Amino acid sequence: MSKMVKLCTLEDLPERGARGFDPEQWGHDTVFVVRRGRFVYAYRDLCPHYGNTALPWRKDAYLDTKGEAIVCAAHGARFEIATGLCTSGPCLGKSLVQIPLRVSNGGDVLATLDTNNNGAESP
Amino acid sequence: MNIIGPDALLFGIDDIDAATQYLTDYGLEPIGNGRFEALDGTAVIIAPKDDPSLPAPLETGSMLRKTLYGVADQATLDAIADELGRDREVKRLQDGSLEATDDVGFVLGFQVTVRRPLSLPAEAINAPGAPPQRPVNEIGVEGGAQPRPRTLSHVVYFVPDAARTEAFYAERLGFATSDRFTGVGSFMRPVGTQDHHTLFFIQTPPHMQGCEHFTFHMGGPTEVMQAGNHMVSKGYQSFWGPGRHLFGSNWFWYFKSPFGCNMEYDADMDLHDEQWTAREAFLSADTTQAFLLQPREKWAPMGPPPKAAE
Repeated sequence: MSKMVKLCTLEDLPERGARGFDPEQWGHDTVFVVRRGRFVYAYRDLCPHYGNTALPWRKDAYLDTKGEAIVCAAHGARFEIATGLCTSGPCLGKSLVQIPLRVSNGGDVLATLDTNNNGAESP
Repeated sequence: MNIIGPDALLFGIDDIDAATQYLTDYGLEPIGNGRFEALDGTAVIIAPKDDPSLPAPLETGSMLRKTLYGVADQATLDAIADELGRDREVKRLQDGSLEATDDVGFVLGFQVTVRRPLSLPAEAINAPGAPPQRPVNEIGVEGGAQPRPRTLSHVVYFVPDAARTEAFYAERLGFATSDRFTGVGSFMRPVGTQDHHTLFFIQTPPHMQGCEHFTFHMGGPTEVMQAGNHMVSKGYQSFWGPGRHLFGSNWFWYFKSPFGCNMEYDADMDLHDEQWTAREAFLSADTTQAFLLQPREKWAPMGPPPKAAE
């Protein structure tokens, strides 16, 4: 089963940045969106290294300083923004779980969430 | 080899402003030149990652650039220079410290320790059957306290060859093994401390080599909880904890950090001497945590009565 959820509007996202969301009301972010101009990408906020660790060290701190890669603060893994592929670090070769995303004509950022995925407890 | 423990860890950092804010919020004191000190003068030192004064990084891109050990005296420093000089380059830096590389590639420094002796009480508790540790009318906990880290406790590495790492620290630097996780790695302590470990390492594939975490000792479990709670309130994200380890018995709370590794608070670690026989266990959640707690922001429903009932 899946459902479409509005995360925010495109204007709510920094032009070149990232933001975490808690669309399933877990009390902590389980999804994050990266925006690079017109392009937006969404992933589950889980590092494939352990599978139960959220990435940022502080809310919304998903990218390196230059905004060129997604980083996991736990052990320094780096991921391609466009694909979620880990290019260095503990989970080299593994990928973040991508979430289908679409931006409506009105600018709503809509994610398709798998309702069987219960998010994760952040250790 | 009277090595006391790590005096400082040096990091080459991507985002200096974020790291400065983080270390200050963690409770270390910024004293300038990228140095952030605990109460006894042990420190985390940060510099921009392309700073030419830093030792070269590991190929993996780990931000940890050097582990700087404090030793008891100049004689120990000379003994280390002689020992390591037998089969590798030992640099003598301008500040009088030594620099050399261990057998798996971590850059080490050695200096006559800068630690200041601390004279502070430990957390005191009262328990039925035991004489009170806190006198009558003395309060145990103060809301909103922000306790300061006392001393740099230990560093944990990901290593490509745990057996080789253990052999190097044991045979060349005189570290003793306190406990061991089978096929994973060992908890080691140098001669100059009784702490269960100042070094632990975890066997991993070579592409993971780097720092897993590092931590400072706090004055007791309540200080771990209050310092951690302060971090949570500032928006920093917990990685693991709070809880209590089995090997070492230390209380722990780990936070993700802008250093590409976790930064921990710990307290109340076991002490050992040469009478101790190392234990060995398989690594699992059951063997690493006696218990694990998770904070909860809202713990009871509350609020005014519904309007209709007024």
